[in-house]
Amino acid sequence: MVETVNRIFHCLPLLAAIASLPARAPAHQLDEYLQATLVAIEPGEIRLEINLTPGVAIADEVLGLIDRNRDGIISSEESAAYAELLKRDLIVRLDGRNVELKLAALNFPEPEEIRTGWGIIQLEYSVKPGALAAGPHKLTLENRHLPAMSVYLINAARPSSTSVQITGQTRDKNQSTGEIAFDFRPPRRPLIWLVAIVLFAGGILLYGGGGGWVFGRVLSQLASRSSAN
Amino acid sequence: MIKKIILASTLALFCGGFGFDNFARGNPTAEIVAAAKRFLATLDDAQRAKVVYDFKDDAQRKRWSNLPTRFVKRGGLRMGDLTKPQREAAMAAVAAALSAQGYEKVTQIVEADEVLKDDDHGGPRPGGPGGQAMFGRDEYYISFLGQPSATEPWMIQFGGHHLGINITFVGDRATLAPSHTGAQPAIYEIEGKTVRPLGRETDKALALLNSLDKAQRQQAILGFEMHDLVLGPGRDGQTIEPEGIKGSALTEKQREMLLDLASEWTGIMNDDVARIKMDDMKKHIDETWFAWSGPAEKGKAYFRIQGPTVFIEYAPQRLGGDVTKHIHTIYRDPENDYGAKWWKQ
Repeated sequence: MVETVNRIFHCLPLLAAIASLPARAPAHQLDEYLQATLVAIEPGEIRLEINLTPGVAIADEVLGLIDRNRDGIISSEESAAYAELLKRDLIVRLDGRNVELKLAALNFPEPEEIRTGWGIIQLEYSVKPGALAAGPHKLTLENRHLPAMSVYLINAARPSSTSVQITGQTRDKNQSTGEIAFDFRPPRRPLIWLVAIVLFAGGILLYGGGGGWVFGRVLSQLASRSSAN
Repeated sequence: MIKKIILASTLALFCGGFGFDNFARGNPTAEIVAAAKRFLATLDDAQRAKVVYDFKDDAQRKRWSNLPTRFVKRGGLRMGDLTKPQREAAMAAVAAALSAQGYEKVTQIVEADEVLKDDDHGGPRPGGPGGQAMFGRDEYYISFLGQPSATEPWMIQFGGHHLGINITFVGDRATLAPSHTGAQPAIYEIEGKTVRPLGRETDKALALLNSLDKAQRQQAILGFEMHDLVLGPGRDGQTIEPEGIKGSALTEKQREMLLDLASEWTGIMNDDVARIKMDDMKKHIDETWFAWSGPAEKGKAYFRIQGPTVFIEYAPQRLGGDVTKHIHTIYRDPENDYGAKWWKQ
């Protein structure tokens, strides 16, 4: 009996929120948590730009995960902790290998705004994949964050670099999992390589094998930097 | 009954009172500028200071949303704070920039919000930010970036809940991108007449889908659910990879249908601007994609049109009820949102 009363008291805020909805509710995604992810693939960096919109009927539940001390304020520690919580629920694989996400940016609206069902939480994560080999690649994203209440969107952003070309996108029905196929074509720098060969040969001629090695190292550094761009 | 008469007369005032003879005109830009200046002349100094922003004010440029003004504050002057002559002059300035059809769409969206207000008893709510009302025709805002000019860049913004009209002018060139239209309720009645602010786009999209053969449908229909706009308000500067069926895989008739569907957004602008945009779209029709997600039923599915210079999305919103009654759309130009390529160095 005591447990039942406790449960009812626990549910009171949610019941009150639902009861306060107008007869013909105008809010968007009442009982859904919209998680919309744009995946930007660029040479040297992959970014996940995520917009999270909790509907009014589940906003308190989401807020409970963010405002952990329930003081009505989302502190920077609390927002960072929630970003970490979401990060743990995002599985990103590049060519079948898990990659580590780093939080790049975050923006939380006031709790009052989140409670209305209109507030949008914005989080951005980045991945540094290292030097990509030329050719086809696959990036998969699986979002396991709060699946019971969530709906998802996953889309590949159009790359700003011509070195990356999106060749296909597939998702499961509810878009909690998506796969992006892309080609990486490092920019060709024929002039740099020509200069490198000439200087390498020149180094050997002038200073013997050691000179050629030094010139070769310097120019390979230059070439790798330019291809990363 | 009285409520309906007020609604009907307001709509009639909107549609009839602001001189659609503007659209049979010689120099549209000059007339739009003149209409904007006539509105500014009705204001006092304090109001003028509030309604005109610096053209370089990017924060104000991006201050538009599908959300009610109670949650996303708009800049400029609130319709409900203007006198009747000021309000009429404001709407005349908006009307001058749009086609008759575009202005009708805008007013029907505003009137839908008035219907929502009545259904929602959307008067002032205790405890809400500022205690202000959430819905209704008073809750729309007008603002300018830069002074209206036939030569210098300037912008007019008109919007509120489910509406964000952003028009940038640079000399005799103009663009509507990016702008948001939406409606809730997307179907309502005034004096027994059914009004569907986004009805034509809804019907034309389904007709296009139905014109596709089996193989074309397999390309056009996305195999996953779409719950909202991908590049809605707040997603400025972003573009996504196109999906669906490419214009080059459509028949000539289907391409015409696709262009006609897109004209529901491009045609919001006055006829001169709309014609230029449509010519541009025709040039890129082979590289323009059409995608669909959801059932082949009127108003129940998401669709997208995406080409080099156009991006349109239509997304019915789930309310746990009838998705056909709540719609969001977005119109963008991936190359020229806010006319930036004309004025940004």
